[in-house]
Formats: sequence, C-alpha cells, structure tokens
Amino acid sequence: MNGQRVLVVDDEPQILRALQATLRGAGYTVDSAATAEEALTAAAAHPPEAVILDLVLPDGNGKDVCRELRTWSEAPVIVLSAVGEEREKIAALDAGADDYVTKPFSVEELLARLRAVMRRSAAAPEPVIEVGEMLIDVADRIVTVGGKRVKLSPHEFDLLRVLAQNRGKLLTHRTLLREVWGPSYQVEAHYLHVYISHLRRKIEPDPSSPRYLLTEPGAGYRLVAPSSV
Amino acid sequence: MRRLANGVLASAVAVAIVTAAIELFKPYVPVLSLGVLYIFAVLPIAVGYGLGFAIVVSVASMLAFNWFHLPPVHTFTLADSENWFALVVYLATAIVVSDLAARSRRRAAAAEQRERESALLAELATELLRGRELEEELPAIAGRAAQVLGVDSAEISLGTAHRPPRDQSPYPLEVAGRKVGAIYTPADPNVAAQRRFLPALAALLAVAVDRDRLEKEALAAEDLRRSDLVKTALLRAVSHDLRTPLTGIRTAVGALQSPTLHLSDVDRAELLDTIDVDSERLTRLVGDLLDLSRLEAGSAAPEPELWSLDDLVRDAVDGLGARDRVEIVGESPLVNVDPGQIRRVLANLVENALKYSPPEAVVVVRVGATRKEAIVRVVDQGPGLPDTELELVFEPFYRRDERSGAGLGLAIARGFAAANGGRVWAESRPQQGATFALALPVVEVPVELAT
Repeated sequence: MNGQRVLVVDDEPQILRALQATLRGAGYTVDSAATAEEALTAAAAHPPEAVILDLVLPDGNGKDVCRELRTWSEAPVIVLSAVGEEREKIAALDAGADDYVTKPFSVEELLARLRAVMRRSAAAPEPVIEVGEMLIDVADRIVTVGGKRVKLSPHEFDLLRVLAQNRGKLLTHRTLLREVWGPSYQVEAHYLHVYISHLRRKIEPDPSSPRYLLTEPGAGYRLVAPSSV
Repeated sequence: MRRLANGVLASAVAVAIVTAAIELFKPYVPVLSLGVLYIFAVLPIAVGYGLGFAIVVSVASMLAFNWFHLPPVHTFTLADSENWFALVVYLATAIVVSDLAARSRRRAAAAEQRERESALLAELATELLRGRELEEELPAIAGRAAQVLGVDSAEISLGTAHRPPRDQSPYPLEVAGRKVGAIYTPADPNVAAQRRFLPALAALLAVAVDRDRLEKEALAAEDLRRSDLVKTALLRAVSHDLRTPLTGIRTAVGALQSPTLHLSDVDRAELLDTIDVDSERLTRLVGDLLDLSRLEAGSAAPEPELWSLDDLVRDAVDGLGARDRVEIVGESPLVNVDPGQIRRVLANLVENALKYSPPEAVVVVRVGATRKEAIVRVVDQGPGLPDTELELVFEPFYRRDERSGAGLGLAIARGFAAANGGRVWAESRPQQGATFALALPVVEVPVELAT
C-alpha cells in the first residue's frame, strides 16, 4: 500500500507489538519506541508522517514529546490516553497533539483517526472549505448551509473558520480562544461556550443535537461533516 | 493544739523578757515611760500568732508592768492615778499595733498562698501545653494541687463518670457549667484556695482535655486522608493494570477481525501471541487481587500439613520454571504450613529476586533454621534496596520501578506468611543486592516420624 511512515511510542511491550502488527497490516511502515528519548531519536532518524504517542512514558510524558517534536516537525500526533489522565491529555493537545483515543480503543477508530489527521496535514489551504452541506468562503467571509446564506458576527465567523480549517480535528478550548480572541483570552472558557451555542443555532439543522459542531467533553470541540467520523 | 501551746509559751517568754529588761533600765529612766517597751513583746506575738494572742499578751504585759514595776510593787493597785491613764494608753496602743501587725501578717500569708497557686497554675499550663498525654500527667498535677489546697493528698479524675476513692470528698471541677472532672481530697481544703484555685485548675484541664481530643481528631482525620490517598492510588493502579493488558488484547483482536487489514503470517502470529501474553497477565492479576482481598478479609484460612521447607522451595522454583537460575542450599526442619500458600510465598519472593537480578545472574536461596524458626533467605544480585523502602515494598501496589508489576507479589507473600504464623521481611545493603527472608515456626517432630 502507501507505506507512509508511522512512529508508535508506548512503554507497554504487548501494546507496542499489537499496534505494530496492526499498522503494518494497514499498509504503514512502522517505527517503534518505548521511551520519550527513543521516540525523539527515532523521529529524527526517520521523520514520520504521523506519530501515535502514549501519554505516560517511563522517562517523561507525552506532552513534552509533543512540544519537542513540534519545534521541528509538522507530523500529526495522536495521543493514547487512559481514563484518569484527562489533564495530561489536554496538556498534550495544547502542546500540539492533533487528536486522541482512549485506551482500550477499537482498531477501526484508531485507524480512522490516523487517516483523518494525515489527510489534513497533507491538504493545502483552501479558499472555500466544504464541510457537509456547509460552504465557508474564507476570503469573502461568507457562509452558506444547504445553499442558504448564514449571517455570522466576526468572532462567530473566525471561530467557524478555525474549526473548519482543522475539520475533523479536536481543538482544545485553549487553542480556540487563542486563535479567535488572542493569547490574553486563553482562560476565558465561558466566551467560547457562549459563541459555540450561538454558532450552533445558526448552522445546525437541530441545535439541540449538533451534527456539525461536536463537543468533546472536558477537552474541546470538533467540526465534522455529518455522519463522517 | 501544739500551735496554742507554742503561742502561750512564746507569749510568756516575751512578757518575761521585756519585764526583766525594764528592771535593768529602771535606775536610769522614769519607770512609767518604760511601759512602752512591752510593744516589743506584743508585736512579734501579733505577727507570729495573730490578734488574739496579741491582745492576751497586751493585757498580760500591763498586768506584769503593774505588778513588778509600778508602785506599790507586787500589788495590782496603783499609788498614782496618773499611772492608770498611762497603763490604759499603753494597752490601747498595744492592741491597735497588734491588730495592724496581724492584718499585715494575714495579707502576707494570703499573698504567699496566691503566689503558690499562680505558680502552680503557670507550671501546669506550661506542662499541659508541652503536649504530653494528659492522663499520664494527672497524678503529678493532683500532688501539686494538694500542696496548694493545704491537704495531704489529692486525686483528679476527668470526665463525668467517677468512682470516688474511699474516704475522700469530691470537689467538682467546672468551667462555665461544663463538668471537666473532680478532685478528691481526704480533708476539706482551705476554702478561699478552693474557691480561687479550683476554677482555674478546671479551666486549664478543660483546655488540655480539648487539646487532647482535637489532637486525636486530627490524627483520625489524617488516617482518613491517608486511606483516601491509598484508595485513589489503588484505583489508579488497578485501572492501569487491568486496562493495559485489555488494550493489548482488544487491539490484537480488532486487528485480527478487521476486514480491511492485510496481515502477514508473522504479524498474525504476533497478534495471537499478544493476546496470549496479555490474557495470562490479566488472569494472574485477577488471581492476585482475589488473594489479596481474601487475605485482607481474613478468609485465607491455611490448611496446615507437615512439610520440609526445602521441598517447598524446590517445588516453588520448579513451578516458576527457573531451576537453572536458582541455587538452593541448606536443609530445614519440618514446618506445619499450608503447602499451597507457602509455595506461593516462595514463588513470589524468588520471582521478585529474578526480576531484579541481571539476566544471567543466579539467585541463591538459603534454607536454614534457628531454634525456633525455619528460615529461607532469597538473595538476589540486583541493585539492592534503600532502608526507606525495606517496609514500603510490602505495601500493596507499591512499585519500585518499571520492573515492578502491579506491586502485589510481596504484599501477598507477606499476607500468606502471616496467615501461616510466619513473617517475611527484606534486608539490603545498597549495591549489594537485596535479601528477602521468610521465617516459619519450627514444629516438634512427631515421634512416629522421628527416625
């Protein structure tokens, strides 16, 4: 198949083994590492096109690996987290991870997430972004849903644009606040909740059960095309 | 009584001395003016024995003056009526002065008493604040209180349920209507001291009682907090230890079932092996958790049999499939233990030693005995244990480092050893490897088995 290179980092040998075999079966070329140091060395030796990263490593945590990796690599990172590690998970996402799956995860879910983050990182900037029936014209700041024009305030538009440019990807509260309102608003999470609910009323066919703008409880938001992953 | 006798004697002596002194001065001074010298008899008596004695001495002095010195001598009649007046003035003066003296004496005595009381209270406050156990200090406090109250002995009891000592009257110790306890004395204490001192003592004891109680409550709260911490750690550990093998299994099964993956034979074998290893791990973990909860619930009743301990060691090592990495030396007397549980103890100790030894290193198991105990020492060639960890390693879920499993093996070993009347402990000198030892009580060999 495509032979794209994926680096898998986990200190549990059995999980590492199972992931390696699985990813090879899905056509990827797989490198593996069991510690943070090994991970950074391996990534430097053979730059991966995506990284699957366990949050808790014997010599450090996934957040630090993410931050270090981000200084020179754009490769998308999927974090493997466990219940009880929510804070570490958010920290890793804030440090540049692209998505997460919770252990124990289904193989199909992991592979779908992996495909999604790799597709995004390969995509070039688009002047008009299409998400389901929604079209977002970034240059002219025009949004239509099912062909009907939707009027958005400047902040609402920016919020939708950031989510759309990262469609499918989980964006943390902190990331969204920084991108839309600027660095000094990073802790004003209630701004975000209010704007998200405004946005849903304008773009969702049924705002009480959102299909475009999904909440990841405790983590952030994700814009998806309805009925896609 | 003795005080009365002393007073009478002292009074007589004082009057006699002054009377004699006047006799000496009489040739030089008009005798009437010498009557004032009796003040020197009255004053000391007033100070030493109080107003009553002083009045008696005053009257006695005037009578003696009249009898011995005022003409006509050796009669109580007076030649000159002026002398009557002088005598009455002297008497009045003596009585007024002695009243003043007696008052100041009483004040001094009261001040002294108060000083004693406040000194004791201050000392008690200091001692109680130093934080010793109040109950232990009570006899000493009672002894000191007895001194202040002017009684021979005293006993203090706290709380409201008392068994009053025989022949002693209780005095309640109360602060603002709250009964702190009671003090028992064989005789009635000085009333003023009782009124002043007991409330202060009660207040101090109340503070000390409260402090003791608060301290105990704080300790209990700390225990609770610690057990909460332990529970949290336990939950985290269990969830991690259960989830990790589950993740391996689920990933492998998911991959094997996926219609979209193209697995090579090698990868298929890898995935099957992952499932095998991880399900084995889960099985053991669940077994360990069950054993541990059984031990903690006290329901791991051993079924003792007579065994030679070195045989159990060999069985345990064989069970681990580690015969070529373990050297067993020595022999031991018989022990009366549950063979399954003790094999488990030994297997856990040996497995632990192997885990922390370099890959090719041999673990030595020494079997021996003292007069009372059969002892097995499992000596590894690992990094050893710092003193601080010698006990910690037996705590459930304690992990030394990434080589540790769920951290249950040693806790289970200790639990089963204790259930069989034995004990397990660790000894170590850092950089020289660790030794884990099992001691079990030696059994008298039954006659029919002795050769």
